[in-house]
Amino acid sequence: MEHNKCLQMIRDILMYMDRTYVTNFKKTPVHELGLNLWRDHVVRSPKIKSRLLETLLSFIHRERNGDMINRGLMRNIIKMLMDLGPSVYQEDFEKPFLEVAAGFYKMESQEFIECCDCGDYLKKAEKRLNEEIERVSHYLDSKTEIKITAVVEKEMISSHMNHLVEMENSGLVSMLAYDRYEDLGRMYNLFKRVSPGLALVRDVMTAHLRNMGKQLVTDPERLKDPLEYVRCLLNEKEKYDKIITTSFNNDKSFQNVLNSSFEYFINLNARSPEFISLFVDDKLRKSLKGVTEEDVESLLDKVMMLFRYLQEKDIFEKYYKQHLAKRLLSAKSVSEDAERSLILKLKTECGYQFTSKLESMFLDMKTSKDTMQGFNAMLSSSDICDSPSLSVQVLTTGSWPTQPGTNCNLPREILAICDKFKTYYLSTHTGRRLTWLTNMGTADLKADFGKGQRHELNVSTYQMCVLMLFNAADQMTYKEIELATDIPPVDLKRNLQSLACVKGKNVLQKDPMSREINEDDVFIFNENFSSKFFKVKISTVAAQKENEPEKQETRQKVEEDRKPQIEAAIVRIMKSRRILDHNNIVSEVTKQLQSRFLPSPVVIKKRIESLIEREFLERDTTDRKLYRYLA
Amino acid sequence: MRRSSTRKPAAATTNAGNRAAAKELERIDTLFGQYADKNEELTIGPEGIEQLCRDLGVEPTDIKILLLAWKLQAARQGYFSLEEWRRGLKAMRVDTVDKLRKALPSLQLEVANIDVFRSFYTFAFQYCLTEPRQRTLDVETACQMLELVLGDQPHVSSFITFLQEQKEYKVLTLDQWTGYLRFCEEINPDFSNYDENQAWPLLLDNYVEWAKAKQ
Repeated sequence: MEHNKCLQMIRDILMYMDRTYVTNFKKTPVHELGLNLWRDHVVRSPKIKSRLLETLLSFIHRERNGDMINRGLMRNIIKMLMDLGPSVYQEDFEKPFLEVAAGFYKMESQEFIECCDCGDYLKKAEKRLNEEIERVSHYLDSKTEIKITAVVEKEMISSHMNHLVEMENSGLVSMLAYDRYEDLGRMYNLFKRVSPGLALVRDVMTAHLRNMGKQLVTDPERLKDPLEYVRCLLNEKEKYDKIITTSFNNDKSFQNVLNSSFEYFINLNARSPEFISLFVDDKLRKSLKGVTEEDVESLLDKVMMLFRYLQEKDIFEKYYKQHLAKRLLSAKSVSEDAERSLILKLKTECGYQFTSKLESMFLDMKTSKDTMQGFNAMLSSSDICDSPSLSVQVLTTGSWPTQPGTNCNLPREILAICDKFKTYYLSTHTGRRLTWLTNMGTADLKADFGKGQRHELNVSTYQMCVLMLFNAADQMTYKEIELATDIPPVDLKRNLQSLACVKGKNVLQKDPMSREINEDDVFIFNENFSSKFFKVKISTVAAQKENEPEKQETRQKVEEDRKPQIEAAIVRIMKSRRILDHNNIVSEVTKQLQSRFLPSPVVIKKRIESLIEREFLERDTTDRKLYRYLA
Repeated sequence: MRRSSTRKPAAATTNAGNRAAAKELERIDTLFGQYADKNEELTIGPEGIEQLCRDLGVEPTDIKILLLAWKLQAARQGYFSLEEWRRGLKAMRVDTVDKLRKALPSLQLEVANIDVFRSFYTFAFQYCLTEPRQRTLDVETACQMLELVLGDQPHVSSFITFLQEQKEYKVLTLDQWTGYLRFCEEINPDFSNYDENQAWPLLLDNYVEWAKAKQ
């Protein structure tokens, strides 16, 4: 500094020479000359050079170990070096500084790794990083910052990346499992600085998610309860969403990891579509009572997120329809607004085709209400008869997932009023045909038991037919009941079991008492039936997890439905492209159908061959890898 | 006078040619008559063909008869129409049984050419479609034909075994049939250059999978 002052004075004195002689003869200007002389004869003199460096480095070392040092002095010396020329600073100071730092941090990181857990280590690494940045800002050239941070990053982070992430009980997986937001955030920020830091984090996270998810969806215990299954899925999604928002700065690449992992494991279990529909069914039946509209929307949105992961959306559609039909027909839906809201979301996601039939179902319900009003008005204005009151829902065939109804023998009283309705309906809707779906109806019966006990029984139509028989007889065999009612045996047995074998609901007694039903078993009206409730519900119309044969059947139906969809896609594509090779057809078809299901290449090939057989397509004669469209 | 004299030789040659052709046709027709069905004069029926085989000294199941049918482009298995007979024999330049017998080996030579063989191979399939609207061949018949037509080629017996063992396909389509010939032409015995993501018929994908599992 002193030298500088002197130098300035000398320069001022020699200014004239500086301006003329020096420039004319291209000599080094005075100031610069002075600096050069200082540099060469003092700073770089063999005795001073190494001592200077040693001193500087030891100061820094002490500061790293926690001592306070004279930062002002450091700053001045460094500035002097910088003034002497960029190469002086870089060669004489910066380079050895970086080397020493590397050595220091290499050792320190080794120490830490051995004694710290991941979270602590990262804290320390972060601290050191910040220290070095601060050091630069205080007394080093700002250009050094990036170089020294690179050194720290390399020694403390890069070299130990894998070890840190995989540390047992404290590494990434453990942090994710225990929601250690702070640690995760730190890891994210530190690893972001090095390559391939975040890629490593993503890979480990992917593996962990897939593993966790796979266990979740294949756990046999969990599979017994579909609602719990879906709740777990929703919880996990929420958990990881929070981690990404809180600790990973909403990083899109991590969201992608989350999405692809979920998509992977949700589809490992072929029953996921069914279970999600059951979950929704449960919510729309009862669990939404007393929940605010906002919460409803938020729940439905969460469910939609899971829905998006499904590869077999058409299977979901099939189950959803079945469950919706049951809800509508048994009037068990808690909130029509919620139902509508979900259908709208499905429509936005999958298009009009997906939801057109569902909307038709709603329309049928509304129309039926109007029809009933008209019917009841007509009844009350005509002859008053002591007939049972009837409530009818008229369903448009094709929109509803109904099985064809079988004809069972309705009791006389019921038949009369049913015919009246039929007449009424057909008078206003000529050209239509009505078929009673006796397998889907319900009835409320008032029953008198012994000791003047009267109860109102809520039963299925089939059960009503059975019970009405007991107005004429006190006991009947199974065979007699089957004959009289003409109900299909499988359904009849199931309904009889609900009437006779369930504790608290046994309005009939069975002899023998076994659950199994044989031809000669006798059913007796239970005079002694009692219940603390006036209204007793016997039938079960709630949607349940399908048993194995039902599940197979549903799946088969959906597989059959897929064939024409695939063929339609193939024809559409070939019609516009005219000639296409096999791989491109497969990828185009997959793309077109991905909003409904994922067709396998084998199935697509089969459909192509079928279309060739039926002369919609042919193979190109010269290049047999290509297909041609036949108009 | 001169004009007429220069014209005459040309006319003579043509006339001679015509006369020779007409004689040949006559002999072809006569030959046809020897085997023609008693009731259907324009057709040689199964019995006639059997007799023809005896005269030619070949078994009815010999590939030579199939080649003959191919040369005639016979539309219906077991029958030769007069049209077909004329067409085929004329193309072979034969008009007697002897000449026909001698011409049969040359047919085999003819199909040694790969392009000609393809036409023969396709014909073999279609020749077996006996019912009016039949488009597919049952596996049993297909195996017999493959044996007959391709018997000497490598991995044909393996393929036939596969066809008989598998249960997914009960009939073969023409597409699968021609696909197999291409398979024989292009694919290595160890299937190293087979790619199931290409447009090979699914039947062949299954075959390769089966064959690889057996190795």
